[in-house]
Amino acid sequence: MLVQYVFEIVYLTLIGVIICFILGFYILSRRPSKPTKLKGGISPHPSHGMEKSERNWLYFLLAIVLIGNLVTLAPLIPSATYGMWNQAAPVEIITIQVENYHFIMPAQPIEVPLGKAVKFVVISHDVTYGFGVFRKDGTMVFQMQVVPQPYSNSLVWIFDQAGMYDVRSTEYSGPLNPTMFVPNAIQVEV
Amino acid sequence: MNEDERKLLSLRFVVVSLIFLGLGGIEGILMRSRIANLDAPLLGSDPQHFYSMLTAHPFVTIYGFAYMAVMGAFYYLVPYVLGKDFYSKKVAYASFWLIIIGVMTIWTTSFLTHYAPLYTLYWPLPVAISTAGWNPASILPFGVGMILIFSAVLAFFFNMFATIFIPLQAKTKPGAGFVAKELMITAFSLDKLRAKLRGIPSYVSKVMNFPVFVVGVFRGCVDTTINALIMGGVGVLLSVYGTSFLIPNMALNPGLIDPLVYKNFFWWGLDMIADGNVLMFTAATWYLIVPLLLNRSLYGENVVRSVILADLVVSLGVWGHHMMADTPQPTGLLIEGQIVTWGELVTMGLTIFAVLMTMWLARPVKYSAPLKYVLISIMGYGIGGTAGIIQANYAVNRYFHNTQWIVGIHAHVQLLIGLGLTIFAAIYALFPMLTGKQLSEKLADVQLVLWTVGGLVMGLGMGLAGVAGMLRRMLYLTGLGVYQPYMDAALVGSLLVASGYLVFLVNIIRTVGVRGIFGIFFPPRQRAEVAVPVVLSEAA
Repeated sequence: MLVQYVFEIVYLTLIGVIICFILGFYILSRRPSKPTKLKGGISPHPSHGMEKSERNWLYFLLAIVLIGNLVTLAPLIPSATYGMWNQAAPVEIITIQVENYHFIMPAQPIEVPLGKAVKFVVISHDVTYGFGVFRKDGTMVFQMQVVPQPYSNSLVWIFDQAGMYDVRSTEYSGPLNPTMFVPNAIQVEV
Repeated sequence: MNEDERKLLSLRFVVVSLIFLGLGGIEGILMRSRIANLDAPLLGSDPQHFYSMLTAHPFVTIYGFAYMAVMGAFYYLVPYVLGKDFYSKKVAYASFWLIIIGVMTIWTTSFLTHYAPLYTLYWPLPVAISTAGWNPASILPFGVGMILIFSAVLAFFFNMFATIFIPLQAKTKPGAGFVAKELMITAFSLDKLRAKLRGIPSYVSKVMNFPVFVVGVFRGCVDTTINALIMGGVGVLLSVYGTSFLIPNMALNPGLIDPLVYKNFFWWGLDMIADGNVLMFTAATWYLIVPLLLNRSLYGENVVRSVILADLVVSLGVWGHHMMADTPQPTGLLIEGQIVTWGELVTMGLTIFAVLMTMWLARPVKYSAPLKYVLISIMGYGIGGTAGIIQANYAVNRYFHNTQWIVGIHAHVQLLIGLGLTIFAAIYALFPMLTGKQLSEKLADVQLVLWTVGGLVMGLGMGLAGVAGMLRRMLYLTGLGVYQPYMDAALVGSLLVASGYLVFLVNIIRTVGVRGIFGIFFPPRQRAEVAVPVVLSEAA
């Protein structure tokens, strides 16, 4: 399953929980309360800081932050792997120039081996563009910003599926940006 | 200014902000129609017209609506809570007119010249005349519009800071230096730090002298001041380049500015809106409204003050999450941007906890309109914030950056349901105080349902299109293909939001009448014949 769909499922589950929690809170908070130690609303010793429940909530949030960062920075996600953990030497370096709302490709299509690291180097000669590779069903494989010279923008990727891929500018670069679409720009072969 | 004058000023800000919200809503629906490849009236088929509207839209809605509503509310509430008049009436009215003229200058420039660098203004696009085809005469007025807006914002913040920090008993008005010094010491609790270093354990920080609401206001204002300085600086830059293009043989070279360094500064400043205006001002408003309506103290008040300070500190380091697709950016900065951004989960989580605990401990809660709006705005922040945390990751951003996910499920859900409903909560809470009249609770409920359901349908429609690969800021000229159903749903959602806005207008008009609304803009003698001033004098 694609990475973005995994996050979509996680996200939809979370917002379901949030909506149910808010509706439940609304219903339950309209009922009378039982007496509690916290009824006064604030700690009898303001300088003492957090109540136990709030401290537990803080620990829970910190745990989410820790786990969330570990998961998303770990080599579970292809882009984290290629970017940080397994910077395999690319078997091919593909340099693409961008100027005046055109991608200048080294070949059409660019042939890329399946399962091998390839490096895309994209250079803009005028404004900021985006460089995005898309499957034929419209889903995104990866993308990066293309900051104009003197910067060179590069990214290593390993394609795990053979087939044709389209390229599109993923950053607004002016009203002609929607024309920056190159169908069948990359062919990944076994 | 007496209290009635402050009420009038506040109402003027709020009414103009709602007009800008209506204008922004019309733009939004037109753009949604265009993206869905329907025949959008007024937009035609020229992409440049669409993008010029997309450029003006955030200025109209963020500065015209959100900022003006916040200014109106705070010009009344801060003096009300502190029990003193605000610093300067002239500065208050200067901020009122400057922001209106600034927003209208940007809107008019975009409309007439189709100048369309978008609010992102990535260098050198705003000055790339030959590449992008801009009219050379469009850059200067756009830059001037930005300068006017951010001058208004800075004037407002100075008025707030001076109101808060200049003591009531001061015989002569201290200068800006005094205000700035007090602000820095109090906002960052530097006096407490100094006391700790000197070994004074029982020292009570200056910040403890202020109500939590006011602490949220001035700490949020620090962020938004930085935002105004950076964005105003961009306005100056555009004005300088724009002027140079109008003088023969004087055109400045865009290559003088480094695009990546510029982009870092730009996002550092721009993101301060998210923390200052959206998160901290929202928190401050909740901290005021909820205890006031429930007639009890805010839960964990002292902790809350520290949380606002933490939010301020965190906000200074989160801009990197906007740069995660920029491969020349140092990886260390990208990781820093991710981890610090996740810190907002902690600060916002504690804020929400304090508000919900305050409500929970007040059971049985009798929900008035403002309380319902606060509760649902918390839900909006939960939904939009979670999407924000997911996308603000070095690895995940590779798949989500610049997709509809970011602008739909994160930005618009946070702005429409989170911030928007907080502003409406403040309006519903303030309305009786300002006019002496009550708005209909039933209509408020109808508005809440339409606005919330519409905002969610629109946000989720856009967001799920983003998961499927649909880009933001993109027109699919040959058809939307698999994205079409998502965009149809988003359009329906935007129409529901617009219906909610119309219900709100009906609620206002049936309560004070059209003359009552526009009567507040007439000089006092003429105002004597219209509804609101009569109400004001009765309330007084």
